[in-house]
Amino acid sequence: MADKRRSGVSTGMSDSKPTTKAETDEDFLSQAGVGVLLRGALLKLVEARSEDPIGFLAEHFSNLASETENSPVGGGDGEHHSNVLEQQQLSRALWHIGLAHHSQRSAFNSNTRVAYDLLMQNGSRRHGAGGVKGRVYTELLRGLCSEGGLSVTASAPLLQRIRCHDHEAVPFELFRQGVLTCAVFTDYIRKSQCLYAAVSSCPERAADRALCQAVLGTLQEALETTSAWTDVARYLEASVKISPCKLAQAMAEAQGPDGGGMGPTMDAQEFEDSAAKLFLARVRIVS
Amino acid sequence: MNSDRFALSVDDYLAAETNVLLYLNDAVTQLLEHKEEYTQFGVVRYFAEYFNSVKNGNHVIFREFNYVKATQHNRASFIRIFWRCFRQIGKNGDLLAAMEYSSLLQLLCPDFPTEMVQNAARTVLFDDAVDSLMSFSDFLYSFQIQLFFEEYLESVLVIYQDLLSGKNPNTVIVPTSSSVEQLNSIAEDESEAHEAVDSAVFAECIEALCERFKHSHPSPAAVREILDNTQRISYYGFLLALAKSEIISQDIGALPNKSELLVDPEMDQELERLIAQISVSPTSNSSGSATGLKELPKKASPRKSLHHRKRIEMESDGSTEETDSSEN
Repeated sequence: MADKRRSGVSTGMSDSKPTTKAETDEDFLSQAGVGVLLRGALLKLVEARSEDPIGFLAEHFSNLASETENSPVGGGDGEHHSNVLEQQQLSRALWHIGLAHHSQRSAFNSNTRVAYDLLMQNGSRRHGAGGVKGRVYTELLRGLCSEGGLSVTASAPLLQRIRCHDHEAVPFELFRQGVLTCAVFTDYIRKSQCLYAAVSSCPERAADRALCQAVLGTLQEALETTSAWTDVARYLEASVKISPCKLAQAMAEAQGPDGGGMGPTMDAQEFEDSAAKLFLARVRIVS
Repeated sequence: MNSDRFALSVDDYLAAETNVLLYLNDAVTQLLEHKEEYTQFGVVRYFAEYFNSVKNGNHVIFREFNYVKATQHNRASFIRIFWRCFRQIGKNGDLLAAMEYSSLLQLLCPDFPTEMVQNAARTVLFDDAVDSLMSFSDFLYSFQIQLFFEEYLESVLVIYQDLLSGKNPNTVIVPTSSSVEQLNSIAEDESEAHEAVDSAVFAECIEALCERFKHSHPSPAAVREILDNTQRISYYGFLLALAKSEIISQDIGALPNKSELLVDPEMDQELERLIAQISVSPTSNSSGSATGLKELPKKASPRKSLHHRKRIEMESDGSTEETDSSEN
């Protein structure tokens, strides 16, 4: 494969011999730009380290194809076309960001950079410089939340905090922080739903209120860990506070000696909201 | 693949499991073989279509057998396509012979080998009466095991033969193709067909095989479960148990459970729609397109020729009736 590609590229420099049949295979490949095309695709693939390379290549080539197919029409109907283009770029940016989980931080950051540059292209064509437009940034975050399975009401308070004004230019660092926050938040909400399911123990019945409060209390304590030392020490301390045995201890205390079961309950939505509040309290307001 | 992929070198990542380079290679080869046809919408679009079809599993249809078996994804895709294409046979409850299933497979893959079909038939029919008829679902699950685990089954057969002849199983070597052929001919020997080996020893040998096996194999837990349930087992008995194992079928991921195998409301609706269309279409379709065509110049022509227009309308009516009567 590698040989084929290399020869496909190099033939561009050698003069094409007049053959009886229109062209040799190598000439054909170099004329069609296959070598360059495939090398570019492989570079992108290796950069992103997608979990599903075939799906990645399918998406990559589809994007390229629709780009080249759309561009000649570009001049035609201005506003509508640029809207379509923006939507396309947004969904491509979302796709890039989704390629690696945020725990794979360096890959995640690099994918976020790709998404940022992608969205920049659109902006810079119209405006001079600065960064991604605030409106596009906010739109991207909204997409990220809904892709992560958050309802509009669940994501609204977060977006309220980290959104930018439409006219603002968003620098990369802020962009990255915002994207990361959304990714972590959707994960966090999913985890808190699992937590509720674990507490309620039986899916038809709502969970015991006292138990939920004990769990939320433990969660809050862990989240609010402020250590005078380094970040690492803070993470360790927080993870000790939320460890299974601490949680079990808190729940045992909340339940009391009588075994409970008859007290007031808390439904899943309320639990999720309270958990979200704990997270949101830690998110700084951008503007 | 898991998150370890971030720690791999570039070559290892590209080589790992998914065969990216194999598909790229094939895409270029196909492109060169069908230059004119495939480049009319642009090379980039061609690659997009190629990889989308690989993703959707439609890429193996009408391809040569070597390509069909080149990757586990291709094999699973082919099994799925075979099921989807001929599901109606199972629905109608038709029973077919091995040769007929072989013909069906060759409609999708012209050089599909008959041996594999026969092996699948032997599994279903317990190695005797290979010309008997089989239900679609019996054949399908057995065929799935044959295609997906081809290399594994070959090695298992060698182990089985060794055990039968009383050799030390620990010296089992992964077979070359010639030795397999030889063994296949031995297996066809009727005298050995009904023999069996001790399940526990067999299980031990298979486990040892899986530890160093570089091809795909069924999960050891599922195999263990099968062999724990019997004391002695024959080769085709083992294959049949593999074919019937729901865990293994789920791991392959190409086919649904047996109970859902023939359920497909969407396809049924589509078929009903098509049948309804066919029974009506020859007349209604042709008259519809005919009037459609004739309406075009009618609209384009200026109002003045009212006469002319009327004539066309009459003509079109006439022609419709004509086709109607000819059809009836």
